[in-house]
Amino acid sequence: MKYEMTPQEKRLARTAWAVGLLVLLVIVLVDLGVHHHAHFEQDGLTFDTLPEFYPIFGFGSAFTLIIVAKTLAIALKRKDTFYADD
Amino acid sequence: MQMTDFPPALILLSGALLIPAAKGRLRWALAFALPVLALADAWQVITVGAESHVAFLNMTLNPVHVHPATPVFATVFAIMVLGGVLYAFNQKREHELPAACVYAGGALGVLFCGDLVSMFIFWEVMTLGSTVLIWSGRREDSQGAGLRYFGMHAFGGVLLLMGIIIVINQRIHAGDADPLAFRHFDEMVQGWSTLGWDSAGMWLILIGMLVNAGAPPFSSWIPDSYPQGSASGTVILSAFTTKTAVFTLMTAFAGVEVVIYFGLYMAIYGVVYGILENDIRRLLSYSLVNQVGFMLVGIGLGTHLAIDGAAGHAFAHIIYKALLFMATGSVLWATGRTKMNQLGGLYRTMPITMWCLIIGGLSISGFPLTSGFTSKSMVVQAITDEAARMAALGQSHNHLIVTWILFEAATAGVFIDACVKLTWFVFFQKDSGLRPPEVPWNMRAAMIGFAGICVFLGIFPGPLYAILPYQGEAAEYAKVVYSVDHLTLMLGMLLFAGLSFFVLLPLLKRTESITLDLDWIWRRFIPKFWHDVVTPLLEGLDRAHKTLLEWIPARFTEDPSLPPSVRRRLPGSWAVSVPVLLITVMLLTYLLIYFWLLPTTT
Repeated sequence: MKYEMTPQEKRLARTAWAVGLLVLLVIVLVDLGVHHHAHFEQDGLTFDTLPEFYPIFGFGSAFTLIIVAKTLAIALKRKDTFYADD
Repeated sequence: MQMTDFPPALILLSGALLIPAAKGRLRWALAFALPVLALADAWQVITVGAESHVAFLNMTLNPVHVHPATPVFATVFAIMVLGGVLYAFNQKREHELPAACVYAGGALGVLFCGDLVSMFIFWEVMTLGSTVLIWSGRREDSQGAGLRYFGMHAFGGVLLLMGIIIVINQRIHAGDADPLAFRHFDEMVQGWSTLGWDSAGMWLILIGMLVNAGAPPFSSWIPDSYPQGSASGTVILSAFTTKTAVFTLMTAFAGVEVVIYFGLYMAIYGVVYGILENDIRRLLSYSLVNQVGFMLVGIGLGTHLAIDGAAGHAFAHIIYKALLFMATGSVLWATGRTKMNQLGGLYRTMPITMWCLIIGGLSISGFPLTSGFTSKSMVVQAITDEAARMAALGQSHNHLIVTWILFEAATAGVFIDACVKLTWFVFFQKDSGLRPPEVPWNMRAAMIGFAGICVFLGIFPGPLYAILPYQGEAAEYAKVVYSVDHLTLMLGMLLFAGLSFFVLLPLLKRTESITLDLDWIWRRFIPKFWHDVVTPLLEGLDRAHKTLLEWIPARFTEDPSLPPSVRRRLPGSWAVSVPVLLITVMLLTYLLIYFWLLPTTT
């Protein structure tokens, strides 16, 4: 059964999305002004001091993990009654 | 025995006898009083640094001993029981409270064990209590899951016992003054890569502990069994088995490098399987494996800061994990459902549960202002510190760079899993038409209390840092935990991980499915193999055997010159001979192990 959102709920959802995107924008702007220290400086690795490294890293790693999971699911997904059917 | 060396575990264990005998208010008064008394006793023992010596068989056991990590674990265990009892206050399952007392009592017992034998005894007490707790969940698969859980832990327990016996024997032969002692296996750190018979005992103990921690290939027992508890039972279940394993690994195997890799596998595995999971409490079980993985990385590193991080994270984890299981338990209690595809839109009527779940989810992800932020980041710091130290010594440390990257990726992953995904599919997503009322006051109070602890420790980590194994390191770390660098780093990483969830949302549509795991081998493949291959083979052999046995006596029974007693001889049967064969093989294996493992010098 489908339920429709009331106009009030629709407004609330739109506001929530807007606030969320605004927060992301603020994070991007703030990150430009912050210098992150290099975690492995002694090895000459400074990739983590690049501007916007952490937002990109966070987005990229979560994205990759979801894709990896969905790829695994092609082979390993079963109905949740799989073992109960014995 | 004085009050200062009374094992705190016995106070909780006594609940198993007292609570069933009590009725009504007294029953609950006892349930609330016992963890408080146990905590008071634990701290008395810790302050005095008491030891206790009890003669048992031919040995002197020491069930009261304070390890460096005992204070932090004992404190959180007691808080956990108290919160769990409050949350369970309105439930009527008769076996659940006594079982919880046995379970938590066993766990508390392990924390105070000075010797390997009493550790093993408490270890098994814990298994018994938790199995009953799963059974009393009375959900669809509680019985089967409880049995599988018991089998898994009996298996781990046997490995542990074998290891303990071998280690004690080796110590006696080496002239050790205290052969029973439960202490760090320094030998293993010196040469863990030597996989010889000399270290077999330690390896068996390590594997036995890793089984309880949910390490591969046995991680699946956690999502298999914990979601089968009742709403309140699972809250208790989530706290003790894996964290007791973390404690024992920390005490005996800190700095054993191989533990890092087990931890990394678990951290990634928990996220990947969690992404695919549809059941809210199975999802939390996967993220539990992920979090224990983070602790194992700290234990494998073994530096003071890493151990502090792992212990502090265990404290924070027990609280927010219980909070998450309380919130999902409330959803189960209110709607009778745990599948995300059947939920949605609950924000309208269950706002308190929703905010508590969000706070738990933010804590598990290490979001600023929550306990995960101040505890887990110590392990991250320890990884980079250790890399710098090894670099200064000119040692290869590329594995630590990889560890850092995977650790942070798994942190981003668990945020989309246990925080964004859970909140979205349960409380928003679509309107499922469900309008359940908010849960009773005691469940709300327990959730709000634990959410309060999560936020408090996120803002004022001082009291937690003060009871860690090596407080000095943590106090030093407290100065940088809220640097602008660290704060913006985590915010950027987590929030943009959250964005990727919504970008890929069409891929994440919920279906009623599970993801096969390695337990397929012993739940499906081996039974099928036995049924389809081994049984026909045995039956074929049986027929051949019978034909042979019938043919030979037939030669005699038809021979009138033989006495009737010989002629009446019946053919043999596999019903007896297969078990006899199996037992013989088992005894032979045991004999071989016994001869090879034990030093020959006396």
